[in-house]
Amino acid sequence: MIHLKNIEKVYRTSTIETLALTNINLHIGAGEFISIMGPSGCGKSTLLNLMGLLDAPSAGQVDIGGQAVTQYRDKDLAQLRNQKIGFIFQSFHLINDLSVLDNVEIPLLYRKGDATGATRRQMAQEALEKVGLSNRMKHFPGQLSGGQKQRVAIARAIVGKPSIILADEPTGNLDSAMGNEIMNILQTLNTEGSTIIMVTHDETMAKQTHRLVRLFDGSMVGDSLL
Amino acid sequence: MIRHLIKLIWNKKKAHSLLIVEIWASFLVLFGLCTLVVYNVRNYAEPLGFSYENVWAINLSNNQDTVNVAEKTQQILQRIKAYQEVESASLLSSELYPFSNSNNGFSTTYKNRTIGVNYLATDENFAKTMSINLVAGQWYNRADGGGKYTPVVINLKAQEALFENENPVGKVLTDYEKKARWIITGVVDTYKDKGEFMQNKPTLFEMTDPKNGWNKTLVMKVQPGTDAVFEASMLKDITTIVKDWNVQIVYLDAARQSKINQTLVPTIIFLIICGFLLINVALGLFGVLNVSIAKRRGEIGLRRALGATESSISWQFIGEMWVLATFALILGLVLAGQFPLLNVFDLDAGTYLVAMLISVIVIYLLVTLCALFPSRQAATVQPAVALHEE
Amino acid sequence: MIANYIKIAWKVLLRHPFYTFITLFGISLTLTVLMVLTSFLDHLIGNHYPETNRFRTLYIERMVLTNKEKTMINSGPMSFKFLTDFAKSLKTPERVTIFSDDRKSNTYVGSRKVELNFRFTDAEYWRVLNFEFIEGKPYNEQNIANGDYVAVITDGFKKQYFDTIDEPVVGKRFEIENVSYTVIGVVKGSPITRLFSYSDVFFPYTNPKSNYQSLGYRGGYMAMIQAKNESDMPAINEEFQARISKIPVSDVEGNFKGGLLEVNSEPFVRYFMGVLFQGDPARVATFYAVVGFILFMLIGLPIINLVNLNVSRILERASEIGIRKAFGAPIRTLLWQFIIENIFITLIGGAIALMFTYGIIQLINTSGWIAYADLTINANVFIISLLICLVFGLLSGLLPALRMSKLNIADALKS
Repeated sequence: MIHLKNIEKVYRTSTIETLALTNINLHIGAGEFISIMGPSGCGKSTLLNLMGLLDAPSAGQVDIGGQAVTQYRDKDLAQLRNQKIGFIFQSFHLINDLSVLDNVEIPLLYRKGDATGATRRQMAQEALEKVGLSNRMKHFPGQLSGGQKQRVAIARAIVGKPSIILADEPTGNLDSAMGNEIMNILQTLNTEGSTIIMVTHDETMAKQTHRLVRLFDGSMVGDSLL
Repeated sequence: MIRHLIKLIWNKKKAHSLLIVEIWASFLVLFGLCTLVVYNVRNYAEPLGFSYENVWAINLSNNQDTVNVAEKTQQILQRIKAYQEVESASLLSSELYPFSNSNNGFSTTYKNRTIGVNYLATDENFAKTMSINLVAGQWYNRADGGGKYTPVVINLKAQEALFENENPVGKVLTDYEKKARWIITGVVDTYKDKGEFMQNKPTLFEMTDPKNGWNKTLVMKVQPGTDAVFEASMLKDITTIVKDWNVQIVYLDAARQSKINQTLVPTIIFLIICGFLLINVALGLFGVLNVSIAKRRGEIGLRRALGATESSISWQFIGEMWVLATFALILGLVLAGQFPLLNVFDLDAGTYLVAMLISVIVIYLLVTLCALFPSRQAATVQPAVALHEE
Repeated sequence: MIANYIKIAWKVLLRHPFYTFITLFGISLTLTVLMVLTSFLDHLIGNHYPETNRFRTLYIERMVLTNKEKTMINSGPMSFKFLTDFAKSLKTPERVTIFSDDRKSNTYVGSRKVELNFRFTDAEYWRVLNFEFIEGKPYNEQNIANGDYVAVITDGFKKQYFDTIDEPVVGKRFEIENVSYTVIGVVKGSPITRLFSYSDVFFPYTNPKSNYQSLGYRGGYMAMIQAKNESDMPAINEEFQARISKIPVSDVEGNFKGGLLEVNSEPFVRYFMGVLFQGDPARVATFYAVVGFILFMLIGLPIINLVNLNVSRILERASEIGIRKAFGAPIRTLLWQFIIENIFITLIGGAIALMFTYGIIQLINTSGWIAYADLTINANVFIISLLICLVFGLLSGLLPALRMSKLNIADALKS
């Protein structure tokens, strides 16, 4: 599903060069549920950004579904993100001025092809049902708890039926009860066929996944099946 | 997508209310300016209806001399016509020469239609002196006088208001005292005697009575190149005939220029001030948008992550401005629409509508221009960078 | 404390030159327009050469006749005789002068045409108005009684007709409409915007073409009544109105027999408004609507613009505000800080506007668009402008300051 070959990522400013990732080789198959762990600043988020096509590597190659994507133009990358990848962030990143339903609909707005307003609405409602929030569709993010916000974010990630879900510390801002709730949803999605890659700090969360990749100072230091 | 933008704006309406007020106010300013400009341009587009080149006007005032005023005026007119340099000359109501600051008007009736007309008494040579073209009938001459009714000529504007489809030549008009008084001998196209920027108004020319001493202004067409030397000697001749009268000579092209300036100068001052105001507004909108894009980098990054292309981000910000402008314009049009509906300032509804249309277009152009650069900036936001900033 | 605020304001200004430019552009543009307008208004209605005694002068400019049925109105200047009978003989004023409206004529120097305005006046005219005589002197009662063919001319006419600036022309002759006159004095001219003193040539009213002998009530003359001091003006008006009301209605001429005769003697500002409105309430409404719209446009738009910019930029300074609040600054202090900052910026804009205004006024005065224009930035204009500045600063600072004071400390510090 995702294949990273000899990835290197360097951040340059006028004075300093920071090596964020070096010599990363990682193959992720369809239907896997992987967690990535490591201390702050080890390059976890950078790795996730590369897999999510939010950022380009300084060297190396990213394959998604067997296609090399490093050469793609912005337009194609955007479409690829839209169709194949769903994002979940630690701080949710909901748009406060839009209702829950409107937030969930956003990925469909950027999708090529002409889904009608009614279809989009239908799909967003289904996604919200899946995360158990169909009774909060008209609410605004400000009126929701942290766990509910993250469930909205998950609904947004799955509304376009992507094959890959990238989660950047999805439980990081939540207490353990809410965190477990989110993990249950992710597990359900995984059993339904989604490939899930999750960055986390939390060992107990990581243990609930099938494979654990450890990073330290920009290098992979461990890769084990659980 | 448009519905999405409308929702976004609508849900943020409180924060956007000031921007909407600003665009709304700019629209009203533009509407005021455009109304003025459109009104003047529409008036300018209609022909003057006469020629002012090489035409002079002479205003006579008899002061304390009350003996044989009409005869002396006729004598002056004959003397002027006799000059080689003068092609044609005509007598008319005192001070009512073209481009003067005076006017005279009253109401006239045909059947049950009553309208106000600009009034001017002239003799039979007026059309020839001023090169006025007739579209129907002919200019009155001495032979038309002496009957029961005084011969008059009207313009097309008066014909439209009084007669609709009837042929006005030969019809009799009643005056403001409800007395049948005038018979129409001809119709002229336009006669905008207050200059190009004057609104075309109904006008009525009445044949003068040569025995009446009230009409003491003359217009004369001189040959091209006639100069102040001739003018001085003519003045000398006139003052020999009437020693204690005042004689004032006006060149119509100079009088026309001052009339044009009366409209042009305030319009240009207004235009300059409004221009600066709009530049000011444009800079302000530009600044506000720049700040707001800096504030919304997180949102932009998210949208990019969810699959928005660079151009769709650009279009989103331009689209948001259009939606905002549309809200403001709807409010503005409701207010501006009252002007034609309530007939404020007595202007043609068409003038207001054209002004509204132009203002709407200019506002859309203005907000697009303001949004263009900031929206480009927004599009360059890298999704990863934006998400990390939060 | 204030010095501290101003220091911060200055830093804020320098941090973003582009926003500073927008802010100053808006403020100085608006203030320039307002200052040029007030200056022009002051030029129109203030006490200026040669009508420096406007504040203690009453103007009798027109008579309004209305017929018995109230269907006809005739208004305009009056006859010399009417004003002599009813105004000249008043007891309370210091001086009364009678003069004609200005008329146009042409004169010829070789093949050159010189256009000119002239008016007829009495000798008192030169005492009521403070004309500056460059050479010669005004005509006096003796010249008038003799019916001398003399005239006072302006420096502008002297230059045009005699083609000289320095050479004296008193005693020289010039010709208008084939009548020859002797120059008795040359004055510095008055701008065309001053209807009671503007002219190129002044003649004694006994000039054969002046019509001062007319017997009717209406004619071509007006009057200025100068009071000893401002407080006398109501008493003078009362005395004048008492006389006017005694004119028997049967005396009123022609079509207006038995009708109403009104003549006002009013201070210049009231006269000026009267000319503007022409006694028509619809005109008053239109006038206020137009003035309101222009003010709204001139002041409202830039203020909304500034408020908008300030409100959206407030978050830029969230952390500064958060820290101040965290260390115990009360909301009121923060409000003041922001308002003082805005007033400071407005004052800088005001200073720029003052320079622009000075430039524009110089341009108007020297360009010759209005001959003898003497627009000034006088104390009144400056004080009004300063007040406008302060209002501007307050208004454009208040709303953003309120927004700011509501800012949550934790949120402010987080970013």
